[in-house]
Amino acid sequence: MAEWTSKRGPRTFYKSRGARPTGVLTSSRKFIPVQAMIPEFVVPSLEGFNLKPYVSYKTPAGTEQPMTPEMLFNQVVAPQIERDIEEGVFNEENLEKYGLEKTQEGKLFKLHPKNFAR
Amino acid sequence: MAAKAAFPHDYRYGTSRPWTIAAQRLNPPGKKRRKVFVEPIANEDWHVLRGDTVEILSGKDKGKQGKVAQVFRRRNWVILEGLNTHYRYIGRSGDYRGTYIASEAPLLLKDVTLIDPTDRKPTDIEWRYTEEGERVRVSVRTGRIIPKPVYQRKDGIIPQQWKDGPKDTSPEDTLQTTYTPSLKTLEEEVMEKMNIQEDRRPRKSYWY
Repeated sequence: MAEWTSKRGPRTFYKSRGARPTGVLTSSRKFIPVQAMIPEFVVPSLEGFNLKPYVSYKTPAGTEQPMTPEMLFNQVVAPQIERDIEEGVFNEENLEKYGLEKTQEGKLFKLHPKNFAR
Repeated sequence: MAAKAAFPHDYRYGTSRPWTIAAQRLNPPGKKRRKVFVEPIANEDWHVLRGDTVEILSGKDKGKQGKVAQVFRRRNWVILEGLNTHYRYIGRSGDYRGTYIASEAPLLLKDVTLIDPTDRKPTDIEWRYTEEGERVRVSVRTGRIIPKPVYQRKDGIIPQQWKDGPKDTSPEDTLQTTYTPSLKTLEEEVMEKMNIQEDRRPRKSYWY
């Protein structure tokens, strides 16, 4: 047997399976659900969306390379910097206008340390 | 990601896969058996592929030609379909003696040779380069190229003859590129698209 889960052990053994609480338990043992803690799926309309769960066997192997940070920089940021250098407007202190950030403080989705699950 | 399976250096590779009961019986944890010596053949020099037709040079079925069903690189073995068989009972339980089937025994690589497709006689093989630069197997006796066997999937599906079901995405839809590179994360793009404003920030928490 490999994993020690809540299904094993005596009947007094309690172990959670990872479910997060969806509210607050008060001192009088009443549970108040908090709407913000309950997950809500926001799904856009799927009009004209042709992708299905499975891929056909007839598809040939794709030729696109996986995206690397260098490729992302070259495609998104480099053209803007080159255009600014040709116009003579390039300023080393003002790199934020190309999308490069000085710190991750104050952002909702920080890149490092990564605080979104994906 | 699954960890790569680690075997001890004196692991004896058999015809069953390592996670089966038969392989566990062959290699119990504390066993020490006489070592099998395997002639080292480099990856580039290996010339028998699965699906090839080969001829047996020695053994019970000497002189017969058959298709390669399995290749074991670790022991230089080749298993042909229906040749070099011995018979055994399978699936016995209680008093029932089981089904009597023919099971193939592996053949060493030096006991088989590839067959020239034109005159169907056994030949020696060399790896040579064509004028385009492609590396092909050439028979030494006649000089003809032996083509690579067509790869057949184990589940019997032929991709060209596949009929798409209701849950299959068609090839055109799959190969469509709709990705525009941007510096925003997926979550930020979705928030922007759906006009979700989020000004609250999570409280600082620590974990060790």
